[in-house]
Amino acid sequence: MVSFLLRRLVALLPVLALVLVIVFSLVRIIPGDPAVTLLGPGATNEQIAALRLQLGLDRPAAFQFFDYVGGLLQGNLGTSLKTGNGVLQEILIRLPATLELSICATLLAILIGIPIGVLSATWPNSGLDHVTRVVSLLGVSMPAFLLALILQLIFATYLGWLPVSGRISPYVATPTVTGFATLDGVINGDFGAMWSAVQHLVLPTVVLAAFLATTLGRFVRNTMLDVMTEDYIRTARAKGLSRSSVILHHGLRNSLLPAITITGLKFAEMLGGAILTETIFAWPGVGRFMFEAIKNRDYPVIQGTTLIFALLFMATSLLVDLLYGVLDPRVRRKMQ
Amino acid sequence: MKLFRLFAGATLALPLMLNAAHAQASDPLKTLVIAVPSDPDNLEPGTNKAEPVGSEVILNVFDTLVAWTPPDFTKLEGRLAESWTVSPDGTTFGFKLREGVKFHDGTAFDADAVKFSIERTKASNPYVEATFGLIRDIAVVSPTELKISLSKPYPAFLSILAQPQSAIVSPAAVKKFGDQFASNPVGTGPFVFKSYQADTNVVLESNPNYFLGAPKLSRIIYRIIPDASTRRLELENGGVDIVQQQGQLSSIAAEDIQALKGNPNVSVLEAPSQIIRQLEFNNNNPNSPVADIRVRRAIVHAIDYEGLLTGVFGGTAERVYGPLTSNSWAFNPKIKETAPKYDPELSKRLLAEAGVDPARLNFKLYSFQGALWGAVATFVQANLADIGINATIEQTQFPAYRALQTAGRFDVALDGRQPWYNDPDAHITIGYLSSLADSAMTFRMPKEDALDALILKAQQTVAQEERKGLYFQVQEEIAKRVPAAYLFSPKLIVFQRSNVKGLVINSAPPLNEYRGVYKE
Repeated sequence: MVSFLLRRLVALLPVLALVLVIVFSLVRIIPGDPAVTLLGPGATNEQIAALRLQLGLDRPAAFQFFDYVGGLLQGNLGTSLKTGNGVLQEILIRLPATLELSICATLLAILIGIPIGVLSATWPNSGLDHVTRVVSLLGVSMPAFLLALILQLIFATYLGWLPVSGRISPYVATPTVTGFATLDGVINGDFGAMWSAVQHLVLPTVVLAAFLATTLGRFVRNTMLDVMTEDYIRTARAKGLSRSSVILHHGLRNSLLPAITITGLKFAEMLGGAILTETIFAWPGVGRFMFEAIKNRDYPVIQGTTLIFALLFMATSLLVDLLYGVLDPRVRRKMQ
Repeated sequence: MKLFRLFAGATLALPLMLNAAHAQASDPLKTLVIAVPSDPDNLEPGTNKAEPVGSEVILNVFDTLVAWTPPDFTKLEGRLAESWTVSPDGTTFGFKLREGVKFHDGTAFDADAVKFSIERTKASNPYVEATFGLIRDIAVVSPTELKISLSKPYPAFLSILAQPQSAIVSPAAVKKFGDQFASNPVGTGPFVFKSYQADTNVVLESNPNYFLGAPKLSRIIYRIIPDASTRRLELENGGVDIVQQQGQLSSIAAEDIQALKGNPNVSVLEAPSQIIRQLEFNNNNPNSPVADIRVRRAIVHAIDYEGLLTGVFGGTAERVYGPLTSNSWAFNPKIKETAPKYDPELSKRLLAEAGVDPARLNFKLYSFQGALWGAVATFVQANLADIGINATIEQTQFPAYRALQTAGRFDVALDGRQPWYNDPDAHITIGYLSSLADSAMTFRMPKEDALDALILKAQQTVAQEERKGLYFQVQEEIAKRVPAAYLFSPKLIVFQRSNVKGLVINSAPPLNEYRGVYKE
């Protein structure tokens, strides 16, 4: 088990190096440099040259690369050209918002998707199955921005139950402790703040969860239909086990492996930034930060965020592999 | 079902129970929430690059020596300066400063602080190099008197001193915070900087000791909302009080503006801007088909200016007649009469006169990106097609577009300028002086000593009336050369909840002060 983990971790290093080289050169190949973009159309060549000098962009790219790698080895991700703050610091400020949203969305998707999959598989081609099929199709095919807009119109504008956007009401002031708005409210004993944070969390969570929940539902249904025709299910039934025990312990458990892969990868993707959802809901997360950085050609930020996302992605897929081991004794044996 | 009812009940009851707590945190009637599309670039004069959000925060947290007087912004008034004098040769500016003003940190404002601030910005801010570079010396005569001398006459310097880059900072705070001053800006302004959360908000609180009287609001919150439709929903829902139409190149669709105008909870403020958008010719390439003035005249008469304003902009933009907008103090009314009129028949005759077969003119019509620019480009393309000219639209990413424009690799292009200070100099000198042709996105005027001399004379003349007369001449001379078809000037539009009162829109640059704003 430990050697499996070590091997996997060592294998990450060349991947990371490759990501680094690709991103470093790609951002410089996109036309336009940050000094031009930051100063806008009114600027003179003189102003641009002065800013390039100030930002160190006048140095040859190779030098910039070695400086960057040197910094990385010392744990320094560089400085944002736009804000002048450390890239790591900027990412850490925004990570809690993204984590809070991704975790809630993933939990919601699991809570909705798996039961729906199980129910649809238990009564295939029933009315319920048809309904979930249509809803799933909608959930998978509807673009996030459209779903977001519809939800905003219904729940914020017409019903007035939930806020349109943001992470907490601007009128609420509660000190930041962990960066998780809901948790901070509880820690500070400010339940008004907590409630406001929860209300703000609902719509973006639903939008982000919709795709995953519907995909999960379909996946679980299909794998479970296959599993339920297996011999061991017949054996379990023949032993006289209750129906729920057959479905949940023997059927579901064996149908979960593909679902875990999807959930894991999708979760990693959410961490890498649900750019659209974060933009529409004015959610101060990492995805939006990276998107702005690309628009502004903020090289160090693009490099830093890509690197961190690559790491998170690899860590999640490693975690998924380990979970396989937990769920499936055959995989566990292979790992050892 | 029972569970659902319980949940719904809780959802409805909890906010009511918690409202009391909210009110304590911040009184909504004393708090103004402003939606802005992006984070401020920085919040201090020493590094400000005229980016709109940060610039507006600076103007509300700091003061400048002078400022433009509302509501028409054609005259300067004293702020931290009580009065000022300009030497006859236009190189020395003497200021008598206001007494008894204190920075937010309690330290006193005086002539040393002015000298410190201006020298600091001069050293740290490349954006103002061309203008602050003219400063030869700043002499503190007494704590309330100061003289700034320039290396050459530059009357528009007073207008530069009204800009956010010229705001006066607290020397003690700069010393205390060092390079963290941008996160802890301290000025003398009507609002005190409270906090900035990246991608979330900037919070300002009122300065009860402000020397022109305490603001009516107790707090301003700038909420950063990147998506235009979210900003609109927030405004309609009352989640924000003000949405500004900022942005050099972007604007919301005319339909949205019409829809908001019909909403009784929202009022729409409009003001003319000094932004100019034009279809410009490459005036510096003798091999281009547009080197022939008859071709240029044919094109400027082919544009249906009124149709563009109503069809594409639905009344949210105004006509521009020449190199300056009609709200500039130096605008020459004669230009309005002589401006080209839509006359496609005349265009065809002019082309025939020039011996040009329009079918052989295949233009690439370059433009910035974005839906609005796309609509303008399509409109112009159709106008050109009416006189037989074929144009292909090339909406180009900004950095690439800038590169090809400044290198002169185009015949016709959609371009524009938003002046960052209130003076005709901001449009004329950079736009039309031939020695600056390649230095920025300009009209690329060919070398012509007489016109260059006239532009520089207008720039450097001190007496306002004489200067105005010179700019009148400059406008006529430029118009004669037909360097562009001047298309439109977008209006500055601010949407506000109907209970917000007292806001006056500043036109150049579009940065607003909130000292007199209140909510009913």
